[in-house]
Amino acid sequence: MKKLIVRLLGGEKRQMLRISVFAIAVSLIVASLIFIVIGKNPISAYGNLLQGSGLMPKRSYAGKQNMFTDFMSFLDALTPMIFASLAVAVALKGGMFNIGVSGMMLAGGFFASVSVGMSELAAPLAKPIVIIIGITAGALVGALIGWLKYRFNINEVVSSIMLNYILMYIFTFFINSYYIDPISRQSTPVSEMSRLSLKAVRTSGLKLDIPLAFPLAILTAVYIRFFMERTTAGFEIKAVGLSRRAAGYAGINISRSIIKTMVISGALAGLAGVTYFCGYMGSIQPGVVPGMGFNAIAVALLGNNDPIGCIFASFLITILSKGAIYLSSKQGVDIEIADLITAVILIFAACGEFIRRFVSRIEAEDILEGGEQKA
Amino acid sequence: MDNAEYIVEMKHITKRFPGIIANDDVSLSIRRGEIFALLGENGAGKSTIMSILFGMYEPDAGEIFIRGKKVNIKSPRMATKLGIGMVHQHFKLVSNYTIAENIILGQEPRKKLFGFLPAVDFDRANRDIARLSESYGLKVEPEALISDLNVSSQQRVEILKMLYRDAEILIFDEPTAVLTPQEIEALLNIIRGLRDSGKTIIIITHKLNEIKAIADRCAILNRGRLMAVKDVKETSTAEMARLMVGREVSFTVDKAGAEPGETVLKVEKLTVCNEDGFEAVKDVSFEVKAGEIFALAGVSGNGQNELADAIAGLERVKSGHIFLCGEDITDRTIRERAEEGLAYIPEDRQNVGLVMGFTLRDNLALKSYYGPDFAKKGVLDEEALNDNGKRLIEKYDIRSGKGNETVVSSMSGGNQQKAIVAREIDMEGRLIIFMQPTRGLDVGAISNIHKQIVNERDRGAAVLLISLELDEVMNLADTIGVIYNGRINRIAKASELTVEDVGLFMLGAEKGEG
Repeated sequence: MKKLIVRLLGGEKRQMLRISVFAIAVSLIVASLIFIVIGKNPISAYGNLLQGSGLMPKRSYAGKQNMFTDFMSFLDALTPMIFASLAVAVALKGGMFNIGVSGMMLAGGFFASVSVGMSELAAPLAKPIVIIIGITAGALVGALIGWLKYRFNINEVVSSIMLNYILMYIFTFFINSYYIDPISRQSTPVSEMSRLSLKAVRTSGLKLDIPLAFPLAILTAVYIRFFMERTTAGFEIKAVGLSRRAAGYAGINISRSIIKTMVISGALAGLAGVTYFCGYMGSIQPGVVPGMGFNAIAVALLGNNDPIGCIFASFLITILSKGAIYLSSKQGVDIEIADLITAVILIFAACGEFIRRFVSRIEAEDILEGGEQKA
Repeated sequence: MDNAEYIVEMKHITKRFPGIIANDDVSLSIRRGEIFALLGENGAGKSTIMSILFGMYEPDAGEIFIRGKKVNIKSPRMATKLGIGMVHQHFKLVSNYTIAENIILGQEPRKKLFGFLPAVDFDRANRDIARLSESYGLKVEPEALISDLNVSSQQRVEILKMLYRDAEILIFDEPTAVLTPQEIEALLNIIRGLRDSGKTIIIITHKLNEIKAIADRCAILNRGRLMAVKDVKETSTAEMARLMVGREVSFTVDKAGAEPGETVLKVEKLTVCNEDGFEAVKDVSFEVKAGEIFALAGVSGNGQNELADAIAGLERVKSGHIFLCGEDITDRTIRERAEEGLAYIPEDRQNVGLVMGFTLRDNLALKSYYGPDFAKKGVLDEEALNDNGKRLIEKYDIRSGKGNETVVSSMSGGNQQKAIVAREIDMEGRLIIFMQPTRGLDVGAISNIHKQIVNERDRGAAVLLISLELDEVMNLADTIGVIYNGRINRIAKASELTVEDVGLFMLGAEKGEG
């Protein structure tokens, strides 16, 4: 057994990738057991998830829809997830645990919605401005958290989780007072010109959703990877994240690096906010902290904090959240089943580092020099 | 009992770690009642083989016999049952527990409170320990807190911990690394006393003169292999050193007389507070000239760390001034000081000197990554970083599993230190601060670093060497300062002081007495 574990998960080559895959596999098995317990066939349940995400054909489609329309809708939901998980990943690399992605998303979404989203600005101008507002609002919230950390040494976990609620209630107040749509009980939908997803576009006999920001999400992930690995700023952020004392010794300005980390993380979260509220959703539900900001933590961990890993992990989690709608209607189970599976994956993903340590301990405590290190 | 002349026999022990053989077919036989020394460079496998004996690792091959009986030691707990005790280099004590509590931990004497409630019998523990400490001449106060003890008392507690568990085979892992000369002498006496009362002692050490002083026999390991087992009386230290490193080592450092130039570092009435707001450095003034090694001797914890950190900019100054080449750098940032030519090899290699999660390559550029050599418009030049890494690895003989790409946390302590020294010396600074540069290193690495220190001086750099090793101070210094309790209580030319003088000042003797 031990040998098998080491064979599968040991060694250094792509170890974290293999552990992530292992975590997913185990959680799918656990989730299968849950399906079996509630009397559903897990294979067909997973099939439904893929069908609902447009990755497997359904038996029948409504008019002007096919697998491709489902897939485009899936990408629409995937886009903000990628940004949100990047926000968490960058912060973690810099040694900050950003739980405030939800609040930052709301900030970006709210300010973009109530300004450009309510205006008559033409699309070529409105859409870029929405993105800029998203980035700015998120970055400012991030800067605040970073500043609190370095100025007053307030733990970012506390300040960011509190800001989630503070911001949510502030925006809820303004939405309920000024921007409420009396029928949907959501904020007034943003204008089509400013919306980052084109909804129900008719082409070649189909009604398509087109997530305009999806390419931007992929490019951003690639750029963040480059930024972290190849720039001096990324070098500093990683050094501070790994060891503040050593980074300080090396002459790196730690407080500046912390704020920089949170500004970048916030900007990414802001992008998630505008692509979610001004793209996928089109409006803001008052009184709710978006769960995506929390799922993003699991996604980032599952993606091993690697920007490209985040794309794949986002893909997986979005299959669950998006496919769950179809799954629940098909199998007659509650839609919360998706959250349940996500939670199981989250637990195993969070265990990734633990699994790695466990494996390397079996592998033999440490590399030779380890022999000299007193345990 | 006479069927077992050897109390411990380890036969053909082999232990592999990923990528390296820590012990390669090592056989050791240790006699009852002797002091047996294990000598070897860093990474030679001394600690590994003792960790195997103490049940912390299981060997891949080989057999262990204790008192003639084959055993399979699976855990330290089992080793304890077999009468084996170990004092680790880093003590394993609970600092807010008392001495007695630490010693009985895991083997608490029980009593029944009110006749039925099981409870720890602290009175008995205190009595037992007082008796035990008296019978072995190890003076301790059973009810004192560990956090109030100095290092050598803590070590005594570790020894008592073994004795309390009736250990017969006592393993000491580099016991003198953190002690003053006087404390070392006392410890060696304790060890002799333990042997005379019938215990068997195994001592892991780098220090040849200590082996000479107390050991009966000595095993020499080199890169995982057993080189020889020697009778200490019949073997010269030079011979032992040769076996250990595989070449002749000269003990005294070759160095020409100093040719001091202009003053590079001037510290003026410096007072520095430590983390608790306590004045760890008080009103200290001294100068270091170009081409001079100024060695600051002192017992650990007398303000050396705070002083070095303050000069390098890691610690804020309460009052006083620091001048580098005439310029006041008291309020400069760490990076500005580094750019002015201040290089610093800190004491804590793993938490301060290196980013443990970074690769060797990135650590070798930790202070220069942003400069024009490695970065253009904020983008790192991978090729330049790789070349820099390769060059330093080769030049300073830094050994690692995967060269540039090795994560430094997987490297040995000695090679980690080499990496720091390589990086700092390569800055070609005007002032280089060496803080405990050879702590925990083996003879080969020590002489290598000593040579580099002298080279730096000869290049014209001012060298501030802060060391707890008196030999090191005496061998290298052109000028010696002695720090005690945060004050420098003596500065003199090295030629004007004897080892004994310095030792006395280190323990707080006043001017004039020495």
